[in-house]
Amino acid sequence: MASGQRTSGGRVAPHGKRIVGGWITLSVVFDLLFGFLVGPHLPPGRMTSSAGSQQFDIKVLFLAAIPVVVGVIGYIVYAVVVWRDGRPASFEPPAQVTARQSTRVQAAWIGITTCLTLGLFTFGTIELILPAGAGGGEGPAPIWTPASKTVLPIQVIAQQWKFTYRYPTYGGFETDQLVIPEHTPVAFHVTSLDVIHDFWAYQLGVKADANPQSDNVAFTTAEQLGRFVVRCDELCGIWHGAMYNYGQVMTKSGFNTWALTTEHKLAANTKLLPPFAWFYSPSANGAGGSYYGTNATYSKVQVYGAATVSPAQASKPRAG
Amino acid sequence: MADAASTRMEAPLANESADELAYELRSAEGATWTAGKLLVGIGAFFYVGLGFAYFYLRSANDLNLWRPHNISAPQDLGALIMAVVLACASINVFGTYRLRKGMTADWEVAGWASVGGLLFALAVQIWELTRLGFAPGSSGYSSLFIAWAGMNIATLLITAYWLETLLARTLRLRRAVAEDGGLYTSTQPAARLWRANLESVTYFLGFVALVNLLFWIFFYAIV
Amino acid sequence: MAIGISKTLDDVGRSGNEPPAPQTSSRPAWMSQHLGTAVIGAVAGYAFGHWIGNVIAAGYPNPQSNGENDIAIVLALVFGVVGWLAGIGAFNYPLAKIIGRAPAPEAPEVGWTRFFKYNLDHKVVGFQYMIGVLLFFFTGGLWAMAIRTELLNPTNHYFGPGTYIAIVSEHGSMMMMMATSVIIGPLGNYLTPLLIGSRKMAFPRVEAFSFWMFMAGYLVILTAIPLGGFPTGWTGYAPLQTQATAGMDSYLVGFIVIGTGMICAGFNVAVTIINYRAPGMTWNRVPIFAWSLLAVSSLLTLATPLLATACYFGILDRTVLTSIYVDEHGGSNFLWENLFWFFGHPEVYIMAIPGFGIVAELLPVFTRRPLFAYRVGAAGMFGVALLSFFVWQHHLFDSGINPDMRPLFMLTTELISIPTGFIYLVGLGTLWRSKIRLEVPMLFCLALYFNFLFGGISGVFVSDVPADVTLHGSFFVMAHFHYTIMGGLMFAFFAGIYYWIPKISGKMLNKRLGQIHFWCMFVFFNLTFFPLFFVGILGMPRRVFEYAHNLQVWNDVSSVGAFLLGASFLIFIANFVWSIYIAPKKAPANPWGSLGLEWQTPTPVPFFNFERIPVILSDPYHYDEQDPLPVADLGGGLVPVAAGAVGSVDMPGEPGIEGTDPGGSNG
Repeated sequence: MASGQRTSGGRVAPHGKRIVGGWITLSVVFDLLFGFLVGPHLPPGRMTSSAGSQQFDIKVLFLAAIPVVVGVIGYIVYAVVVWRDGRPASFEPPAQVTARQSTRVQAAWIGITTCLTLGLFTFGTIELILPAGAGGGEGPAPIWTPASKTVLPIQVIAQQWKFTYRYPTYGGFETDQLVIPEHTPVAFHVTSLDVIHDFWAYQLGVKADANPQSDNVAFTTAEQLGRFVVRCDELCGIWHGAMYNYGQVMTKSGFNTWALTTEHKLAANTKLLPPFAWFYSPSANGAGGSYYGTNATYSKVQVYGAATVSPAQASKPRAG
Repeated sequence: MADAASTRMEAPLANESADELAYELRSAEGATWTAGKLLVGIGAFFYVGLGFAYFYLRSANDLNLWRPHNISAPQDLGALIMAVVLACASINVFGTYRLRKGMTADWEVAGWASVGGLLFALAVQIWELTRLGFAPGSSGYSSLFIAWAGMNIATLLITAYWLETLLARTLRLRRAVAEDGGLYTSTQPAARLWRANLESVTYFLGFVALVNLLFWIFFYAIV
Repeated sequence: MAIGISKTLDDVGRSGNEPPAPQTSSRPAWMSQHLGTAVIGAVAGYAFGHWIGNVIAAGYPNPQSNGENDIAIVLALVFGVVGWLAGIGAFNYPLAKIIGRAPAPEAPEVGWTRFFKYNLDHKVVGFQYMIGVLLFFFTGGLWAMAIRTELLNPTNHYFGPGTYIAIVSEHGSMMMMMATSVIIGPLGNYLTPLLIGSRKMAFPRVEAFSFWMFMAGYLVILTAIPLGGFPTGWTGYAPLQTQATAGMDSYLVGFIVIGTGMICAGFNVAVTIINYRAPGMTWNRVPIFAWSLLAVSSLLTLATPLLATACYFGILDRTVLTSIYVDEHGGSNFLWENLFWFFGHPEVYIMAIPGFGIVAELLPVFTRRPLFAYRVGAAGMFGVALLSFFVWQHHLFDSGINPDMRPLFMLTTELISIPTGFIYLVGLGTLWRSKIRLEVPMLFCLALYFNFLFGGISGVFVSDVPADVTLHGSFFVMAHFHYTIMGGLMFAFFAGIYYWIPKISGKMLNKRLGQIHFWCMFVFFNLTFFPLFFVGILGMPRRVFEYAHNLQVWNDVSSVGAFLLGASFLIFIANFVWSIYIAPKKAPANPWGSLGLEWQTPTPVPFFNFERIPVILSDPYHYDEQDPLPVADLGGGLVPVAAGAVGSVDMPGEPGIEGTDPGGSNG
């Protein structure tokens, strides 16, 4: 390997210095502009802890990506402008015969990309574990949970083509309104009654697949009041595009009032519902009977319903 | 399939030199050899999917529905299929061993016996599907057993076909190679390519036997 | 197993030097098999399969209760494919083999009819593939424009939701099917022997078979439309797959059919590159494009079987009512997601690596510089290929499957950016102080570096789990992989077409039209897909027909871009037809001044590619030398060399030719 041979024929323009100088300048400028102008407004906003951590992550990734983009595109543009040969069909080699290979450049490239990659991996892992899964679905038994002992469980039931929500700590009523309290860790228990859906509360920074026969938990803590949109994010059939609704973050007391009122209002309905469970199996007798039938004798579904949890116990619900 | 390399499809060039012919022959020989190994790889990844599904459903055991009531496919038929396929592979290896000693006829007998055995195993595998004590959709085990049976039928058919074409070719080559020592020693190109093909089919048959053994263990022995 | 070279002709079994008498045709003209008989066979097979299926299963409870006999549909499709293959003549030799027949030598066929037949010449197959791939691509492109039409307005609909989702699914599936073969099919089949100095592909029948399977896949996936379409997108996620109507069978059978074609194509290319390299073509001298084809072949042969198995399970679930993907009866919908992506991610690199190979092959020609970091580049392709088997769960970060494994999959995913970065190292290093000529192929190569940069960087975003919580399943992901596949692979494909068409057809494509095509395609491509990054990050999920009103402007920009992008391919078609058929201009023997072995053959490439088996003297990247050594001795160099030193031609794997490659092995 002809490593590092430099046959500098005559005066050579300081291409390297120009490129590196321009690259550093542009990168710093763009990074600063981006960080201060765009960064604070990056999606998905800061409505919840998980949204905030995602926003921070996306910002860091942009700041890391900008120098790479600037470097590669800048280099290509420089090369095309400076080293272009406009003559047609001129097949002579370049005037300055340069080193064919440079081990140093190759090693440096490999080293830098490796460090960058490992750095991003470390950063991503920390950012995943510390904010309790960063709002992503963590399966039925999450290992990264919020530090707080009081977590409000809310079940998200997806079906073709709508979302409904059950509040197990308020008697297990089921409603199509999603309301969550401010400054309270919330555990979304996402499940599906038919095909795979995905619960994506955009402004909350929460996304979890809704799988049939399975519970998928995602945590977040709301830090701002306001409304948010919930969309299905996994193709679930023809009305997938129309499967969305809206939710609201309320104050703690406002939420409690709403929940107790709704529980009372829907009490008659709740009695007709199957007992609360982390997921629901169809009747063993097939689709002809009651879909939620309790005669699914083979089911190991864990019942966690109105009988066992009352609003008084809301302070110590299952954390996951 | 691998045998396709054995002969030039096109009309050969008029003035090919001996070296070029030798070079192309070596390439074709190597191609047949490589193809046999690669086919084992391809086949293996077909079964990786099945094996993954098996262990996935078995360990998940959702709703205790991996294998309710300890259902099982007919043990005797399963053991029979597995034993026959293993025997076919062994006979083929033994036949190859005899061939190496110049006993072409022995290999031919072994080969035809293997083809017969594979077809027999295939027939039993099909028949077994009518002897199951469970419905396909009744559990994870029953579903994957159906999938395994289908894949095994296809594999046995392909293997039997490959081996049969090799045997058929043997019959046509027998006279031509008799003068310089038979199939195993002849330096004729047809014989050399035939040997590469034989090696490939032996590998593949070994692979099929291994698969049958493994999935016999999965579906009958350790259920 | 070296045989003595002194033993000559009789030993190697040729009856003499005479070619076989040119057999005009072994059968009368009305019996010849071609596209027409294939279509007849397909239709007959479809009807037969449908009938058999109804005979078997019409009385079963399931078809009766849902009014749809999936067994009949699946059998119809399978027998349709069998009929198609029988009609084209794919089974003639395999059946003759049962009675031990050796293949009869066939005289090379001439005339345009050969392109409609089961032809065994890799150059004909390559050209067939090129037309087939373009057909596939343009059909998929029409679906894409239909999608963008629907998305012009957030709430006014041009299609019903069912039609829309069928179009989305059809677009995704067709483009994925096409993209797996888009380079290895046309250019891989055409060029592999030329690049490595071989006279043929290892298995001409497998090669022809792969093409006709590819076209069968095209027809099968199109049957989904008359069958009512399928609603799952190209990912075919399971409970929806089991729930879907008959169009789903086309998807499952179609992917098995096209997968078989992919396995065959990859198998053939891999075996050819390993075994048919000309003497002196050591691994150090194998062109980088051939390296990329080898890497992609390893993925095609090893990953595709998993897809076939997964689809086979799906067919079982839908026909014989197993419950492999049915959660309620002992199956698991996660199983499909795992199996599918275990294939699906290698497939993503099946669609990236050949593009890298083409740009790395072309850059030295248009910069007059040796390829920088050749070894690192080749290693990078294999690194990508290997790592791609260990990243599949990054598609499932939010699915609840193995959440504790997410850091590991984040690591493997981000590690892929290292070998992918090697491609940039190769490209940027080659540009350094070079002499850049902006011919049309070079424009496409540079565009790949530009587009793939955005595709790759956005890939790092979605590989990061916390960021992926927002980005997963949104238009951001959609823009990301269109930047890598459309912006990377398809630009590389067109680079390759513009570069090698003079070799393939002997005609030059019009440069001016080519430039217009490039600039239209480049600008409109970015106009189409760059806004989708914004749309996605602002919260628009994929595959929806309704979206937030505030996203309409970006969506409309994208839609307009898509129509213009579609129109830009008309320029290409016009150029292609005009320059090759209407006003052909003979191409110079070596229009780009390439040192590549493929350009040393006469144009049009003779039937055997090389009159004598070439002896390779060096790698083809000595562009920095004033008068570089010829890359190969084409004039029967084998004979004198062999006469002198037998060993030197013995093994393709040995560097044996003296006095070659003064610069030492490259890299």
